Amino acid sequence: MIRLRNLSRVYGQGPSATAALRDICLEIPEGAFATVVGTSGSGKTTLLNILGGLDSGYLGEAQVAGRELRALTDRERSAYRNETVGFVFQHFALLEHLTALQNVALPAFFANAREPAPERRAAEVLARVGLGERLHSYPGQLSGGQKQRVAIARALYRRPRLILADEPTGNLDTATGAQIISLFEELNREDQITVVVVTHEDFLFKNVTCKVRLEDGRQVEGAPC
Amino acid sequence: MLTSHLVRLVGQNLRRNRKNLAFASVGIVVGISSFVFFIALGAGVQRVVSTQIFPMEANRLQVVPRSIEFGSATGGRPIDEQALSDFAAIPGVAAVYPRMRLAFLASTAVDGRDLSPAAVDLLRRVPGVTARMLEAVRDVRVWLEIMGDGIDPRLAAADAVAGEFADPPEGEPIPVLLSRRMIEIYNGSFAEARGLPKVSEMLLPFLPPLPLTLNHSFISREVRGAPAPARMKVVGLSRHALMGGITMPLETARRLNRRFAGEAAAHTYSSAVLEVTSSDWLGPVQERLRGLGFDLDMSEKRMAESVGMFITLVTLGFSLISLIIVGIAAVSIAHTFFMILYERKREIGLLRALGASKGDVRNLILAEASAIGLTAGTAGLLLGALACLLSDTLLARFLPDFPFKPESFFAFPVWIFPGALAFALIFCWLGALLPARRAAALDPAATLTGR
Ligand SMILES: Nc1ncnc2c1ncn2[C@@H]1O[C@H](COP(=O)(O)OP(=O)(O)OP(=O)(O)O)[C@@H](O)[C@H]1O
Ligand SMILES: [Mg+2]
Repeated sequence: MIRLRNLSRVYGQGPSATAALRDICLEIPEGAFATVVGTSGSGKTTLLNILGGLDSGYLGEAQVAGRELRALTDRERSAYRNETVGFVFQHFALLEHLTALQNVALPAFFANAREPAPERRAAEVLARVGLGERLHSYPGQLSGGQKQRVAIARALYRRPRLILADEPTGNLDTATGAQIISLFEELNREDQITVVVVTHEDFLFKNVTCKVRLEDGRQVEGAPC
Repeated sequence: MLTSHLVRLVGQNLRRNRKNLAFASVGIVVGISSFVFFIALGAGVQRVVSTQIFPMEANRLQVVPRSIEFGSATGGRPIDEQALSDFAAIPGVAAVYPRMRLAFLASTAVDGRDLSPAAVDLLRRVPGVTARMLEAVRDVRVWLEIMGDGIDPRLAAADAVAGEFADPPEGEPIPVLLSRRMIEIYNGSFAEARGLPKVSEMLLPFLPPLPLTLNHSFISREVRGAPAPARMKVVGLSRHALMGGITMPLETARRLNRRFAGEAAAHTYSSAVLEVTSSDWLGPVQERLRGLGFDLDMSEKRMAESVGMFITLVTLGFSLISLIIVGIAAVSIAHTFFMILYERKREIGLLRALGASKGDVRNLILAEASAIGLTAGTAGLLLGALACLLSDTLLARFLPDFPFKPESFFAFPVWIFPGALAFALIFCWLGALLPARRAAALDPAATLTGR
């Protein structure tokens, strides 16, 4: 599913240049459940952004689902983000002026084909994450855990093969975080979605098949190539 | 991004920023409404000029004898019966309407005291005529030298509203038409100042015949023979009538010319109006007329053109000011979009993560600008039209009468509706162009992490 070879990412130029990632080599098979751990500033988010096709300013190779991401045009990469990847963020990134249903259906706007029943699909995925009762609530009316469920539903909306979650439990208390983690594990197990989670609490995960530890942009743990 | 998706997303976004955007588009609304106002005013004034002050008939030409110039080889040729049949034979000429100047002198002496009580009684019934006006009428004493023309009744048949415009039997009053333009000036200034009733088509039927002395002048001593008293009855107002005189049926003029100025004067015309089958023929017919030794009277046309040019320039000036307002509004649109952009940076990053391409982000912002442009443009159009309506009402109520005061000062050329909307759209686009490019260029990874 994911194949990285000598992946490096350098921000800036000259003496002020910082290497966020250095020579990462990694393979994550289809259906895997991967965690990425590391201290703050070690390059975790940078890695996720590259995998998600949000950042193509890297060196080396980054192949996901058989495609080298840097070789895609902006449109193709956008379609890739829309169809293949589902993002989940620490801060939920919900739009406050939209209901849960509308937030979840946002990816439909960027689909190349019309979703026959966008609201029905949104309700379906909201039910999947256990929010079938809160379709018309606004983010302001939801708890942190519920918000993150809406965000996960949004990530599921386009039936992705890969979910990239950046510290999804970072803003939640331990109990709620544990529920979110088991939701990811459930999606991985039942829907065969490959999951990559950046986390500080990898001890909470039970079914991790692939561990990546970064330190100062370098990979210090995980299957090297 | 599918268009239907774009439209729906724009709807979602605009609803949220309603206040900011409404505020930013005030300038567009004001600019477009003043644009509509001034264009409509210019067109309205132009309409008055071209239909009432200098009525122009696209398919007509006025032929006059060539004025004699020193050094010109070809001499002038009078417009006689032969000339008229020459005109009629020119290809493209559909009709010839000759015009004959009275070749003898005439005058009138009107004394208000001569009005019969029956005539005064009749005048009293005309709506708008007051007792004071009738007093003023009784005080009128006018001695006038009269110029006169005879015209083809076909030219002015529709203008005769208070009697038939045809050569009358012996002893009957001569039907005459007065110049609409002259009456406008009389009504607007003279009647107003002297407290006299205004002359309108409504008044004409109540007006008694007026005295007219043929073959007589208060000034010239060249009159031979005895003066012949006659009467004239104003039967209508016409733009074909002589500006400072009376206009009678052609046959009447011919008959009187024969009687007082001889047989030749009964067959010599002062000018002729030629009607061409289509305006395409104007050029060739003019050529042919010059070749035959005649001139064309273009003075009306030139005057209308220069007045028209003046109005166009003034309108253009004001429209330009309106467009500058719209231009400034575009700057405020740009400002607002930059502001919204700043607030929405993270959101744009999110949309990129969910699958929006750079082009999608740019199109989204431009589409929002279009929606604003269309809304503000429509609002501006409505506001402008409303301002025109209001001005017309106020002007009608508070502006004193003046010559050619029109019913409405405004006219709306059809292009103004799409035109105003297009201006609003274009300027909104211009305003949004830079913010849209900036938004499209945002690095989604950086904005998502709040960098
Ligand atoms: N857009 C950028 N421009 C310049 N430097 C950047 C940019 N993004 C990240 N960096 C730098 O790259 C390094 C890695 O950043 P990254 O965000 O990937 O770390 P992280 O592991 O996600 O940290 P955290 O746990 O705090 O989220 C840091 O030194 C950071 O300052
Ligand atoms: Mg991070």
